[in-house]
Amino acid sequence: MSWKIWSLKKSPWVFHVNTGACNNCDIEIVNLLTPKFDVERFGIKLVGSPRHADALLVTGVVTRQAAPRLQEVYRQTPKPCVVFCIGACACHTGIFRGAYHVVGPVDKIIKEIDPNAIIAYVPGCPPKPEAVISGVVKALSTL
Amino acid sequence: MGAIFEERREEKDKDMTEALQNLFRLLFWILIFPGFLFTACFGLIASWIVRKVSALVQWRVGPPFFQPFYDVIKLMGKETLIPQEAQRTVFMGAPLVGLAGVLLLSTMLWRITIDQTAFVGDIIVAIYLMTLPSLALIFGSSASASPHAAVGTGREMKLVMSYELPLVLAFIVVIIKTGGQLSLAAIAQQTPALSISGMLAFLITLLCIQAKLGFVPFDIAEAETELGSGVLMEYSGALLAVWKVTQAMMLVALPLFLVMVFLGGFGTSLWTGLLTGVGKYVLIVVLLILIKNTNPRVRIDQAMKFFWFYCGIALAVAIILALVGNTYGIGWL
Amino acid sequence: MNQEELNNKLAEIKDKLIDIEQKANNRIYLLCEAENSYAVNKFLFEDVPLRFVITTGIDSDDCFEILYHYAYDQTGCMVTLKAFIRDREKPAIESITPFLPAAEWIEREIHDTLGIDFKNHPNLRRLILADDWPEGVYPLRKEVKR
Repeated sequence: MSWKIWSLKKSPWVFHVNTGACNNCDIEIVNLLTPKFDVERFGIKLVGSPRHADALLVTGVVTRQAAPRLQEVYRQTPKPCVVFCIGACACHTGIFRGAYHVVGPVDKIIKEIDPNAIIAYVPGCPPKPEAVISGVVKALSTL
Repeated sequence: MGAIFEERREEKDKDMTEALQNLFRLLFWILIFPGFLFTACFGLIASWIVRKVSALVQWRVGPPFFQPFYDVIKLMGKETLIPQEAQRTVFMGAPLVGLAGVLLLSTMLWRITIDQTAFVGDIIVAIYLMTLPSLALIFGSSASASPHAAVGTGREMKLVMSYELPLVLAFIVVIIKTGGQLSLAAIAQQTPALSISGMLAFLITLLCIQAKLGFVPFDIAEAETELGSGVLMEYSGALLAVWKVTQAMMLVALPLFLVMVFLGGFGTSLWTGLLTGVGKYVLIVVLLILIKNTNPRVRIDQAMKFFWFYCGIALAVAIILALVGNTYGIGWL
Repeated sequence: MNQEELNNKLAEIKDKLIDIEQKANNRIYLLCEAENSYAVNKFLFEDVPLRFVITTGIDSDDCFEILYHYAYDQTGCMVTLKAFIRDREKPAIESITPFLPAAEWIEREIHDTLGIDFKNHPNLRRLILADDWPEGVYPLRKEVKR
């Protein structure tokens, strides 16, 4: 395993993207980053710019307005990077399947611009912070 | 005749080897000890101490010991994205200028501590070098061509203007108290902090250092649009790694400067000097961490008012006390 | 005023309404045609007075309905005005934004999703549909299939 991937696993910095979520998953992500769950043990840090990020935590079913913006944020994240789809809506559009503004789950939109993207799924509505931690750790350990 | 030429050639050879030896020694000082390698490692360990103590204060565990090293290594392994409209030369050159400034500062301070080799006016060189990283930050972020970075640039400029004044006034207090010498080795022999004006100047300089390091309550520039990243918004990959290492190295150089100017430096004997010096350094870092963890961030106008108005007046009082103490020989003023 | 007095006060505007239904003790529906909705709304907001909550748009089979929900906080009573728009080709109703600025955005949203024209609305621009959503397609109308 190359040193780049090894160091990525030791220090994944996350950036949170909301592509039209109901905010439940966003609340759980913000809860995750509080001292109670202490994700700094894993080196996880919330950063304010996608250019500093290694992992994108994407919530929400991707709306028509948000789709090009999500692609722009993905392009601005320096590779190698991992995309985490948090919540049922991001994984497979959840309860909004077939609605008029939905252009597809997150992996469809990301794969349009990067077919080799590394995407991980954390289902739940919303997933508990423990589930998100477990998902992140499992995904990073398979890299 | 041949013998004279031989002698002259031997002398030239000796000069050459001496010059080469000097060059190697200089490179060793700047690059390895106490220069880049030593300061960077020490700085990353110090930044781990900051994160760990902050974590313990918040009743959590905190990052493992090598975390800052992992961060820097990871950043070196990411691709470096440069915005299309950014001014490339300045964008890429600014982090290196900042690194060079803090590197020279740290090397100079450690050399003075270890060898007592100082020169007249070196405190002025130190103050000048201390402003280089902040200026580099301003230049780098204004070359970023991003509205977030532009707002951050404006705030950082105002912040730098705010705290430079009390910083220089505090050093004037120290210079007055130590008898008017402009040499760091001489200042480091005395402890100006053990007097009223000196203690006042010490506390205010501590807050100025807090602002220079970009710690709460004065981290207005960087984490300001929290979830926006402020000045360093467009930096990524290797350039961001240079910024992080620069910040870590400032965490070594600036408290060391404070120790030398206010708290009496490292002393002359080897082991007791080392222990007391490191103890003073740890004291200052712990004070910085405690202030960082117990305060919210202030607005830029609050910071300006605090530094110019309150600190300025306090330092004016301190200068008067120092002058009075000096002329009448009262040591504790 | 208590509930009795509220009922009496609402009866003052009876001539503009089709009917007053009291489904429960604190749930009153006033039914009217679209032409009278402006006057009734003005009465409810200014003369009673009630607190405006939200507006709802419904696509019923033979007409559009615009529901204006008001709250009377002293007794916890909700008063809803149902305005029927009979014209399905070009549905239009008078906007209440001129005297009730809080209704501006909800009327924009109903216009975006149901295509109902609000006359005299100061700012009837697109609100919640995407920038590249085609004009003239109103997604919450029953005939629009995904």
